[in-house]
Amino acid sequence: MPDTRRRRGRPASRTAAWALRAGLFAFCAFPLYWMVVSSFKVSHELLASPPTFWPHEWELRAYRKLFYETNFWTYFQNTVIVSALTTVIVLVAGVIGAYSLTRYAFRGRTLVARLTLLAYMFPPIIMLVPLFLLARQLGLVNSIPGLALTYISFALPYALWILRAFFQSIPVELEHAALTDGANRAQALVYVVMPLALPGIIATAIFTFIVAWNDFLFALVLIGQDELKTLAIGINEFFHMAVVDWGLIMAAGVMVTIPALVFFIAVQRYLIAGWGAGGLKG
Amino acid sequence: MPGHASRRRREAWFGIGLLLPSVLLVLTFTLFPVGYNVWLGFFAKHSLRATSTWVGLGNYAQILGDPDFWRSVWLATVYAVGSTTLQIFAGVAGALILHQRFAGCDFLRGVALFPYMIPTVIAVFVWRWLMNDLYGVIPYMLGTLHVPGVPAAWLSHGTIMWVLIILSVWTFFPFVLVNVLARLQTIPPELYDAARVDGASAVRQFVHVTLPQLRNVLLIVLLLRGIWMFTKFDVPWLLGFGGGAGEAIRTLPVFTYQRSFTYYQAGMGAALSNVMLALLLMAVTVYFIAFPPAEEENDA
Repeated sequence: MPDTRRRRGRPASRTAAWALRAGLFAFCAFPLYWMVVSSFKVSHELLASPPTFWPHEWELRAYRKLFYETNFWTYFQNTVIVSALTTVIVLVAGVIGAYSLTRYAFRGRTLVARLTLLAYMFPPIIMLVPLFLLARQLGLVNSIPGLALTYISFALPYALWILRAFFQSIPVELEHAALTDGANRAQALVYVVMPLALPGIIATAIFTFIVAWNDFLFALVLIGQDELKTLAIGINEFFHMAVVDWGLIMAAGVMVTIPALVFFIAVQRYLIAGWGAGGLKG
Repeated sequence: MPGHASRRRREAWFGIGLLLPSVLLVLTFTLFPVGYNVWLGFFAKHSLRATSTWVGLGNYAQILGDPDFWRSVWLATVYAVGSTTLQIFAGVAGALILHQRFAGCDFLRGVALFPYMIPTVIAVFVWRWLMNDLYGVIPYMLGTLHVPGVPAAWLSHGTIMWVLIILSVWTFFPFVLVNVLARLQTIPPELYDAARVDGASAVRQFVHVTLPQLRNVLLIVLLLRGIWMFTKFDVPWLLGFGGGAGEAIRTLPVFTYQRSFTYYQAGMGAALSNVMLALLLMAVTVYFIAFPPAEEENDA
């Protein structure tokens, strides 16, 4: 509570505050810590009882197996491609759409804005059967663009909603100035509006990327060929091997999460700014 | 000026043109499936074959008479209510902790967001490992406390729902945290000054100043999280299926998925989706009657 920002507080309450922070940290970070150390443990230590909190021996066996004996890199590539494709298209369509929603007057504008919020709330599981049948009809089963198309349709309503909020906060007068100086609409959008809405655009990009990066359900239903699988379903299959190799699964987890962790700590400012204007589906 | 009016109309059409592709795409992927589901629900149809047979309300009659269906509704409700409630508490507590400025607060904010950002598959598998019946570190740590009544094996029938709920709270509470934190930062500090002058304790300040300000955000977050937890498929599926006590967490979405893609009953799957949607619409209606949204500038 803002109390402590004004006065330093008594030592007891300061200790309590640090205890709470430590508790939050442990709750969030311990599972991740455990994933990391488990991925480096030798097999017998991994299954040792009692478990060791700091490994006695470290080895890269799980990573070697991950890189050389599984299709991890193929899954990784597919996930990057489908996520990047989704993000680029959602950003382009979202920026143009949000610009239209905030800068052009036409009937139904508010209705569309409300509907984007409704579509955002809509749970994907309900669309499962019809989307699967539709994708089969259109030949979009076992296709990365087909998968991207479903992610685009899930992420776009949210992108429109959050970008609209950001665009609304940018004064129209700034564009009028650019327009009277001889710029056209497209130039005003690219050189005036977009730089000012950059935090919102970055937040939207991250959220969209995550929708695609994390999805399990639609990849499970729409992708059957091994060489087209994404990380979510590829890693799921490690679990169905004859003997479950926990070291391998934890190593895969590390490879997927650690680069992202570094990234998120770097951009958390934008995330919270963007989140304030909406939320993220999941 | 007629020229002016026609220019305005041209502008409006241009605006609609910019928005149209997005609207069409979203409609194709949301409105169309809802309509198609209603139609499909009247048929017996194999998921992979083209033929289908009209059965009228047969699917619905079968659903309503199936004890497994009712069980799945019950389990989904337990899961949604349990995990949403705890997420709200954890999220508000986390937001209050992170609202202060302290050394390392940006770092801790990043860490606290993280569970929400990692792929569900990873989150679930890490928890399956943490809670493993033979090698899990959490059952081990709980065992060292020697508290009577604490189970040794958590991924079994009687307790797997708890694991599902705790794991879901861990994964999804950052959503609540960030929305609440964003709102906390807009509360004018003057409101607290007045309370402090009156000698209000920290708890009273929270109840009388902070909570009323958070009301709208919490109402929206509660609704969204409730809907998304009730319809969550991947977490219970990945936790319980492929071995283990899946039966005990076969929630309505899992039940629907199995009908559609394990038994290939597309018509039945569609009918179940319609029932799910109907249940949600009823719940949302009741929710809005109970908590009418107050007009406020905040669009969280």
